[in-house]
Amino acid sequence: MSVRQGKGFDPNIDIDGGLSSVVAAAHELKSPLVLVRQLSLMLEAGDVSSSETQKILQQITLTSEKALRLTSDLTKVARLEDAMFNLEPLNPQQLCEDIVTELKPLFDAHGKDFMLASRKHPLLLVANRDLLRRIIMNFTDNALNYTGDNGSVEIQIKALNAGKTIRLGVRDFGPALSSDLWSSLRDKLSKAPQNIHARPLSSGLGLYISSQFAEAMEGNIGVIRHRNGATFYIDLQASHQLSLL
Amino acid sequence: MTKVKVLIVEDDVWQAEQYKRILEKNNYDTEISPHALDAIDRIDNYNPDVILMDILLTGSTAFALMNELQSYSDTSEKPVIICSSVGENLDIENLKKYGVKKILDKAVMHPEDLVAAIRSVS
Repeated sequence: MSVRQGKGFDPNIDIDGGLSSVVAAAHELKSPLVLVRQLSLMLEAGDVSSSETQKILQQITLTSEKALRLTSDLTKVARLEDAMFNLEPLNPQQLCEDIVTELKPLFDAHGKDFMLASRKHPLLLVANRDLLRRIIMNFTDNALNYTGDNGSVEIQIKALNAGKTIRLGVRDFGPALSSDLWSSLRDKLSKAPQNIHARPLSSGLGLYISSQFAEAMEGNIGVIRHRNGATFYIDLQASHQLSLL
Repeated sequence: MTKVKVLIVEDDVWQAEQYKRILEKNNYDTEISPHALDAIDRIDNYNPDVILMDILLTGSTAFALMNELQSYSDTSEKPVIICSSVGENLDIENLKKYGVKKILDKAVMHPEDLVAAIRSVS
């Protein structure tokens, strides 16, 4: 009997690489599940004020949504090779405004600010809307974790390389990346999920997912180290549609 | 009566809030440190009776913090409780030299387990 095996069960798969991906995914999903369980136990036990109950319910919802985003991304990555993705000219400003609107409640619940740096002149790039959105959401989730109390996260859109490349960056204001981590990050961005020791809430899975999505759009992701945080970015080809107008 | 002081070293803000919620309901005094460096600064001023910490911390791991605590006579005796989602992989015997008295696994623990663990060491 011939059985068509899914990509995850390919007999030629690198077992260690496959397993480390599974372990990274399991680790990344464990934290939100643990928190949701503990918050639920708190509600179950009662003796919580109504305002506290509302706060706990909101934390359960937002934590679950974050975990669901990850599961959705993992499914997408697993099917990346088989799927067709339309690349189209799109306005990153509009896309990023939508992301800011969608994630604002999450940032408000953490007491942090989330904004999009304004631009005078619109830019167009070539990308797949869904994949680009997932990359920026991933960067933003990462930035939220590492920005200090009452801090802020900013999405920045820039034209580089004489306008041929558009860079979308998510700037956080968290602990600086060490030099060792900085060099290992650059090496490992496109490889299997790696544990990023100085930022342990992340297994590196989000970056790995983002790098796979970027590759599907012929883009590159990277990181810039700052004294007080980091900018994770994606570079994509600019669309020349505007210049034709 | 003076409340037992617990320093919560946890970089997940909502997880830290949850510990605080549980402990303050049980009449403990708490402060939160989001990372090891902050904890080192805070321990001097707050002088906690118990330190509750995650094993994976932003900026540096709990092991760096525990080594630091063991370096000074006034902090080396502070009881440490590890509360981690990798708790099942940790061996208490290997961690005793760092002052670790209990290990709790976040994935299976109940609020009363946290209170019981702190009561047993304070």
